[in-house]
Amino acid sequence: MIATAIILTGLGSYAMRAFFIFALARYSFPPILRRALEYVAPTVMAALVISMMTSTEGKLTAGWAESIGLLLAATVAKFTGNHIFSLLAGMGSFWVIRWIM
Amino acid sequence: MSPSPSSIIVRGSIDALPLFIPAIPFAFVFGVVVANAGIPGWLGWSSSPIIFGGAIQVTLFTLLGEGASVAAAVSAALIVGARHLFYSLTLAPRFQDQPDWFRWIGSYVLIDQVFVLIQTKPIDEPAIFRRYFLATGFTFWALWMVFTALGILLGPAIPESWGVEFAAPVLFVSLMMAASDRRDKLIAAVIAMGITLAFSQLPHRAGILVAVALTVGIMLLMHRRQS
Repeated sequence: MIATAIILTGLGSYAMRAFFIFALARYSFPPILRRALEYVAPTVMAALVISMMTSTEGKLTAGWAESIGLLLAATVAKFTGNHIFSLLAGMGSFWVIRWIM
Repeated sequence: MSPSPSSIIVRGSIDALPLFIPAIPFAFVFGVVVANAGIPGWLGWSSSPIIFGGAIQVTLFTLLGEGASVAAAVSAALIVGARHLFYSLTLAPRFQDQPDWFRWIGSYVLIDQVFVLIQTKPIDEPAIFRRYFLATGFTFWALWMVFTALGILLGPAIPESWGVEFAAPVLFVSLMMAASDRRDKLIAAVIAMGITLAFSQLPHRAGILVAVALTVGIMLLMHRRQS
C-alpha cells in the first residue's frame, strides 16, 4: 500500500515536471506568454516563503526574529547576489534576536 | 570562446552546493516524518529516487502516517508539488532546441532550486544549458539521496529548539531576490506574498498556485495599461 502510494506520487510528480516540456516542444510561444512566464520564478519563490511562514490554519507564524531574519537575508541577497552570505545573515540575525528576546 | 564542458559541469555543481545547505535540516525532518508514520526506513527512503521532491515526500508520509487513504495522500502530495507545472511551462521554450533524451532526464531533476538557478543564468547555447542543468540537478540529487538516508538513520538528532528549519524560507527569500532582477519582478513577488497570505487557509498549500496565477494576470494587465 505504501509502495503503491510512493510509485503513484513519483509518476505524478514526474508527469507534472515533464508535461509542458514535451507538450510544447514544437510550439512557438507568443510574446505575451513569454512575458507572463518571466514572473513565475519570483512569484513562486515569494509564495513559498509566505507558505512556510503560515500555519495550516492560515495564521502567520513569523515573529520578530523571523521577520528581521528574512528582511536581512533579502537585503544581503540583493546587494551581494550570494546565497551563502544571505543564508548567514538570515540565520545569524534570527538566532541573535531569538537569544536576546 | 565557449567554456570547456568540464568547466561548465564543475560550475553547475559548485553553484548547487550553497543551495543544498538549507535542505539538510529538511532531510532530517523527512527522517522524523518517516519514523513517525511507522514506515520501514528503506521504504521511506525509496521515495527519494522515485519522487525526488522534499515537500512532496514529507506531505505524502505525513498524511499516510495520519491514516489517510492512498488516494487522499497521493492527491494532496501532488497538489503540494503542482508548482512544478509552472516550471515545466516556463522552461518549455528553452527545452525546444534540446534532444529528446534530455527532455526525459532533465524533467526528472527539475526542482525549485534547479529552476531558479537556470532561470537566473542567461545561457543560450543548448549544449552549455544542458550540461549546466544536469550538473546542478544531479549534484542536488546525489546529496538528497545521501542526506535523506542520514535523516532516516539519525532521526531527530537535531534539537527542534535550534530552529534550523528556518534555513528553508531564508533560502527561498534569497532565491526570490535572485529571480527579481527587474523592478516589476520584485513588485510581482511582493504582490504574490500578499495573495498567498490571503489564501493561506486553502488546503495543501494550494494558495501558492492561486497566488502565482493571479499575480501573473495582474502583472500582464498592468503592463497592458502602461503600453
